[in-house]
Amino acid sequence: MKLAWTYLRLGVLNEMQYRANFFVAIVQSLLGVAVAIAVLALVYSKTNALNGWTQSELLVVLGVQILLGGVIHATVQPNMERLTQEVQDGKLDFALSKPADSQLLISLRELRLWQLVDVMSGGIVIAVGVSRLGRSVGVGHAFAFLALLVIGASLLYCFWLILATGSFWVVSMWFLSDLFEGIYQVGRWPIGVYPGWLRYSMTYLVPIGFAVTVPAQALTHRLAWTTVLVAVAFAIVVFLVARRFWRFGVTKYSGASA
Amino acid sequence: MPPVTAVVHVAGLEKVFRVPEREAGLRASVRSLYARRWRDVRAVDGVSFDLEPGEVVGFLGPNGAGKTTTLKMLSGLLHPTGGEVTVLGHVPWRRERDYLRRITLVMGNRNQLQWDLPALDSFELNRAIYRLPRQQFTETRDELIELLDIEDLVRKPVRQLSLGERMKVEVVGSLLHLPQVLFLDEPTIGLDVTMQKRIRNFVAAYNERYGATVLLTSHYMADVEALCKRVVVIHHGQMLFDGKLEALADRFGAYKTIEAVLADGETISMQVPRNETSSATARLLAENDVSDLTVEDPPIEDVIEQVFAS
Repeated sequence: MKLAWTYLRLGVLNEMQYRANFFVAIVQSLLGVAVAIAVLALVYSKTNALNGWTQSELLVVLGVQILLGGVIHATVQPNMERLTQEVQDGKLDFALSKPADSQLLISLRELRLWQLVDVMSGGIVIAVGVSRLGRSVGVGHAFAFLALLVIGASLLYCFWLILATGSFWVVSMWFLSDLFEGIYQVGRWPIGVYPGWLRYSMTYLVPIGFAVTVPAQALTHRLAWTTVLVAVAFAIVVFLVARRFWRFGVTKYSGASA
Repeated sequence: MPPVTAVVHVAGLEKVFRVPEREAGLRASVRSLYARRWRDVRAVDGVSFDLEPGEVVGFLGPNGAGKTTTLKMLSGLLHPTGGEVTVLGHVPWRRERDYLRRITLVMGNRNQLQWDLPALDSFELNRAIYRLPRQQFTETRDELIELLDIEDLVRKPVRQLSLGERMKVEVVGSLLHLPQVLFLDEPTIGLDVTMQKRIRNFVAAYNERYGATVLLTSHYMADVEALCKRVVVIHHGQMLFDGKLEALADRFGAYKTIEAVLADGETISMQVPRNETSSATARLLAENDVSDLTVEDPPIEDVIEQVFAS
């Protein structure tokens, strides 16, 4: 906990040095939101509902996708990029020679504070979407939404960790970020609109469905409580697998000779 | 069983890397995509030594001799392929926290401080990682900072420091938890002579004050001469020598240098094979009017060169 706090503090200090990035992030975020909403509007000029989802409901899905994307881009992705980089150039030596849990350490070291702008714009998109639904969201659903967001984030974290751990074998994994971006765009639409094979792989193989669609369901009165249970169980299993895999990967670390 | 007193015990240590092998060129690289040939590289091949508490030992060998690999196995980063290692009673590769808290690894060509922040912030991070009590941490930090005289440096962003300044700060950061065993991999690489000396003196002071055991690799013999009474020399991953630094010259120094100042002020300097030293000296004294005479071992650099050539 103390470690997390110290890293958080350092991350904030670090990012404060580069304030220009803040404005770049704002522009980037606005642009992203604008494009996504334009695409939505285009689709709904042809139809009223997509696989049973109305435009306002899809706005919620979009908001969740942007918000969660912000969380991942700010915390998980920079850490995993650094990990793959350090496996390649051998700098991971330092993290591994510290008396702290290595997985915890490599997951906390980086923070891209300004990416959190997306959390705000995602939140706004969600709020707009919910208000246009015309149905109030109860406390229970709001709570479920937050809990599912956390589960979603941890699923995406595990997904990233498993991929990044692969760099102990493959060594060069520069393509990971692009791969993730590509897949993550799928989450912009509710997972149900995709054909079966894609839907399953996007739910269990790559947990985008759980991460984005399921929390959005909580806000749009579509959530079945069994889904919550499945999500929790799935998250625990994936976490344990990721941790196991990480531990195994570390023993394969050979370090770049100096 | 290792002797009870040894802090570091290494016996028959081996590390074999499997590396893909291919010819240069495009065709070979395409072929290696589907049919990889592997080759075993014996980076460390039967290294044995024991370090007593408080010893400062030089770990020497040419590039690629297996020094860094050995240090990495000692600090728990690499799994040995064979042999035995214990440090402070721990098996390093298990990376138990109790163990990692009592050692440190410094690599001269790498940097682990936060690049954009003053080192003081990175020190705070180490405090969290090593779970040091606030008071003890502050005391140690201030003491080490004073010892190296870097009060100004620790407040500047690390990226603004010169290579030497960065190394000083780096070393302090690596010692905040007061490790009992120090693995120093070329801590003075790329530094100018004054800076090398500062780092060297600091290591000596730390060793004296805290009785820490130090295993040090360096290509600068001045480091070794100043710090180490004993050296372990490896080559191609194998043990070549383990003993007193002077004994290294006795064993591998092929010649001695005789210098004589004659009565008329002229100086004579000659190199003679080691086993002819006494006869050559006698001849020199008999044939000339000598006012001063010195017989010296060759500089340690030359000895080392000799060692690696053999």
